[in-house]
Amino acid sequence: MGTPSWLYYLFAVAMLGVAAYSSGLFGRSLKTSDPVGRDIDVAHFVMGIAMAGMFVPHWAFWPAWFWEAVFFTLTVWFVVRSLQSLQQYGVHVPHEGIHAVMSLAMILMYLYPMGATGAAMSMSGSSPSSHGILDPGVGLLLAVTFFGSAIFTLGSSHKGSSHHGTHRRHRSAYATVGAPVTMPEVSAAPNTIVRRGLDILTMPVLEDLSHVVMCIGMGFMLILML
Amino acid sequence: MTDTALAAPDARNVAVEEDALPRLGQSRDVQRTFRLVLATIWLTDAVLQIQPFMFTRGSNGFSGMLHSMASGNPGFVAHTITWNASIVYHDPVLTNALFALIQFVIAFGIVFPRTVRPALALSIVWALGVWWFGEGAGGVFLGTATPFGGGPGGVLYYALLGVLLWPRQGGDEPFVAARAVGARAARLLWVGVWGVLALLAVVGSGREPQALHDLVTKAATGQPGWLEHLDKVSSAFFLHHGTPTAVLLAVLCVLAGASVYLSPHFMRLMIIIVAVAFAVIWVAVQNLGGILAGGATDPNSGPLVVLLALLYWPIVSGSRSRQGGVEPRFRVAGV
Repeated sequence: MGTPSWLYYLFAVAMLGVAAYSSGLFGRSLKTSDPVGRDIDVAHFVMGIAMAGMFVPHWAFWPAWFWEAVFFTLTVWFVVRSLQSLQQYGVHVPHEGIHAVMSLAMILMYLYPMGATGAAMSMSGSSPSSHGILDPGVGLLLAVTFFGSAIFTLGSSHKGSSHHGTHRRHRSAYATVGAPVTMPEVSAAPNTIVRRGLDILTMPVLEDLSHVVMCIGMGFMLILML
Repeated sequence: MTDTALAAPDARNVAVEEDALPRLGQSRDVQRTFRLVLATIWLTDAVLQIQPFMFTRGSNGFSGMLHSMASGNPGFVAHTITWNASIVYHDPVLTNALFALIQFVIAFGIVFPRTVRPALALSIVWALGVWWFGEGAGGVFLGTATPFGGGPGGVLYYALLGVLLWPRQGGDEPFVAARAVGARAARLLWVGVWGVLALLAVVGSGREPQALHDLVTKAATGQPGWLEHLDKVSSAFFLHHGTPTAVLLAVLCVLAGASVYLSPHFMRLMIIIVAVAFAVIWVAVQNLGGILAGGATDPNSGPLVVLLALLYWPIVSGSRSRQGGVEPRFRVAGV
């Protein structure tokens, strides 16, 4: 009996789902000129596309060096944002930190694509033998970090914190509190369906769910690399 | 919601925000935080369960792994294990997918207030089942259940943690574990756990240098270089000092067990010592449960013993909160 390819397809589709959802969020943020969480939308979008290509090799495109450059840029960006958050709010775990770690993990997955199991790991343009394999200890540490992030995101009282953090006092209640706040003007608006659709898109629970799916997908890939 | 509302929330929205958001540095429900850590371990187990080899037959597959647990066990244990292994053998994909799903359900169920109780109840039942069918009763009937190797069965700690982290209103004094079952029952459980561990450290093959040496060398197969090197050191150490080390561990366990009835300072000291000891054992002897070698479905007992020990960290009463309850001095910064 071979390895379960359906499982890889399942994860790949989930990753593409996250990418599609993130692109929707990004589009909405452009429309509303609200930049909060836009960087995370971009990160989840490229991670989703790249991860799908890792799970299903023939869905991969563009050379590895391109993706490495993208994730290197994102890593630097989120590290700087984390430092800014630390500077502004004192010692705490900035929510940008986990995205810096995720971006770093993506770089490592491109640098060390082939694990012992080998399956579903042959990314386009990558040269597996050139860098050896990722130390399994590092892979496990990253995977457990992502699983922890998934659980603590779902368990957080700050709904939507995976995208907006916990310091956004001036963000709308809808995006930070979690319970959908009734907005009478929504139902009174002429293009209600479109607006409702857009509001569903920004539901904190969906934002957190996309982060959770990404964390599990990335953690699973790292486990495969052990 | 209108665009205007998004850009500049009205006064009502801000009020909702201010009421609902805990402040940075505000005391957190420590019992819940521990539950989320437990959920993280369950989620790790669930993902380990869907490794490709777990869906396959044969000696390297899931059914083979289960079947090997029957070896050496008494007939009534071995028969049930082989029966279960045969079911998995006949339909490895379906059964393994089901097993993984149950663990995902437990992990995510623990997170949400509405589902935490059913999830913990399921985790207790599941852990006991896995202990019997998947771990061969932890080697208890074989005399090989040394705490160095995870005895009496790493998965039993999941059940125990499920009991001790059962959600219940109240304070976290004298320690978090007391909140679920009461201080007296929690102390008895603590004494029971460390008593069993002390006993297992010195009975059966637990105190035999060769057996402890073999325990490490067997686990060293397929490990990364740095861990393999560490295994050589620990296996050589066991070969020369196996019996004294087992006795020392037993003494530590007895002291840890007794500490729950002694001063909080002594208990804190013992918790630190046993937590460090089991962290070292987890890496240098249990090899992180064998996960790095790519053939494990759980991290073994090390991290769970540490988590259990932290549940008993003595908490001194702090200032009274506005609601009249006790605000524990365990303070966790908001994320």
